[in-house]
Amino acid sequence: MSFAHPAIAAFALVLAAALGILVLRFARRNADLDRAYSDIAFFDRAIGRRRWIAPALNAMWLLALASMAVAAGGPRVRLPSVVRSGAVFVCIDTSGSMASTDVAPTRAQAAAAAARAFIAESPPGIAVGIIGFSSTAEIVQPLTRDRRRAEAAVDRLPLPNGATAIGDALQLAGSALPKIGHRAIVLVTDGVDNAGVDPLAVARWLGAHHVPIYTIGIGTTAGGLIPGTLQEATIDSAALRAYARLSGGAYARVADAAQLRAALGRLGRVTALRFKKTDAAAAFALFGGAVAVAAFLLGLGVGKYP
Amino acid sequence: MTLREALLRGRRRPRLAGVGSPTSYRGDGYEFVELRAYVPGDDVRRVDWAATARAGALQTRVVLEDVALTLASIVDDSASMHVGRARPLRLAAHEAEAAWLGAGVADDRRIAVAADGITPAAIARSAPAVLADAASRRRGRPFDLAGTLRAARAALPRGTALLAIGDWFELDDAYDGQLAEFGTRFDCTALIARDPWYDELPLHGLVRIRGAEGGGIRAYVGRRERTAFHRAVRVREADLLARFARANWRTGILHEADGRASLAAAFGLRSLG
Repeated sequence: MSFAHPAIAAFALVLAAALGILVLRFARRNADLDRAYSDIAFFDRAIGRRRWIAPALNAMWLLALASMAVAAGGPRVRLPSVVRSGAVFVCIDTSGSMASTDVAPTRAQAAAAAARAFIAESPPGIAVGIIGFSSTAEIVQPLTRDRRRAEAAVDRLPLPNGATAIGDALQLAGSALPKIGHRAIVLVTDGVDNAGVDPLAVARWLGAHHVPIYTIGIGTTAGGLIPGTLQEATIDSAALRAYARLSGGAYARVADAAQLRAALGRLGRVTALRFKKTDAAAAFALFGGAVAVAAFLLGLGVGKYP
Repeated sequence: MTLREALLRGRRRPRLAGVGSPTSYRGDGYEFVELRAYVPGDDVRRVDWAATARAGALQTRVVLEDVALTLASIVDDSASMHVGRARPLRLAAHEAEAAWLGAGVADDRRIAVAADGITPAAIARSAPAVLADAASRRRGRPFDLAGTLRAARAALPRGTALLAIGDWFELDDAYDGQLAEFGTRFDCTALIARDPWYDELPLHGLVRIRGAEGGGIRAYVGRRERTAFHRAVRVREADLLARFARANWRTGILHEADGRASLAAAFGLRSLG
């Protein structure tokens, strides 16, 4: 959150805090003109003391004051909004390890089904492109708003084979995305980067250009052997998380086809969101006012105001 | 009627005081009660000849036995009695105690009981001296109910007219046996200090309540709390009255405005004269 008038916000907050302290001290001072009672334990039992009311009322008044003070400073908050247009590349790992069957029927087929779910969930204004990568990366489908073409492209992904060049895929996606507008990359992989350029450097560059990478790691914890080899299909979660973090995206790990489909379906909606700063002064003022009214009504209800 | 007369007439006969009959308090004395027909065995000196002449049959003057009373008092003078709406309850308690001890005649004994003992015999004939002695022994000390009852039981003669005044917050159920024993041993009267906030709890909103004998709480007092308190003080007072009555004590309410009137009311008197 930022403020259009930070000085006013600070002054208003200090003023609200001072007012709150004064009111509390005044209330305490009044209460300190305290009444004596013969037996405090009996009094406590007799009234059936509700211990939450005073703190709750104080908290509500303070919240109302603070909200109004914040409103006075012209707060601007980052709120998500669905973009009308944008571009997303889905980079799908087609390395040999994707033939592993720990995610039924195979990781590659589960990834393809999930990619279709992603395309189906993307808003119509988002152009989707498909990149397949193993030892090298290639664009299987350039950016298109035609959902049928995008889904058909998923079927053209190469069969699992070769190494895992994550950096190449990210670089290719970055260069193929438009230079402006809402952009994102979805990376679906099961393996460890072992070919091509350094993906960390590419992720950093993409982050600097406001292109978030949403990474999905496929594979069970137990993993599985790459069919036809004695090689274990492992997953480098730390690296995938780092790509997401460096670029401002997010990482998720999935262990079965259903999770993968759900994760990519969700990403279809998330990648169409843009966070933009919105003037929230009215919202804060309304909220503060509503809380103040609620505090007053609560006080009235419990008999604070005779 | 004076308080002393009321005590003599309404005296509860201690059940363990020995052999007796409902008329055992009627005997030699000067306090006229009634005229009744002569019954063989009546002292002929009590025959009222004028009344006999008027009635045409022997009439006997029935008088109250003229005995010296022992008037004892137990007063909670601790900090818990220093509260009140217009003035401290303790002032009303002192008024009631002074009226009680002042009600005796010259031959009566007056004893103020405290946890550390009773009034010395040397000053037991003078109400002001007893009160002064009691005040000096109670001042600044918490009320030790158990100790005071122990001292009273050990030192007071059977049949003593005992007045006990307090707010009775210390009186838990464990005392019921002792109260019953006192009820059989002495002619007991309890004045229960009315809660200063009996009629209305004059608190609103967030308040700090200080315990008269220490401690304190911050409490939120709203309508619900006021209603609950109103109910609780009534229940407590009614419960105390019932407990003392069960133990064969005469009971009354000590109103902070007037201790003498409170004592008179406990005996069904309009005033103490």
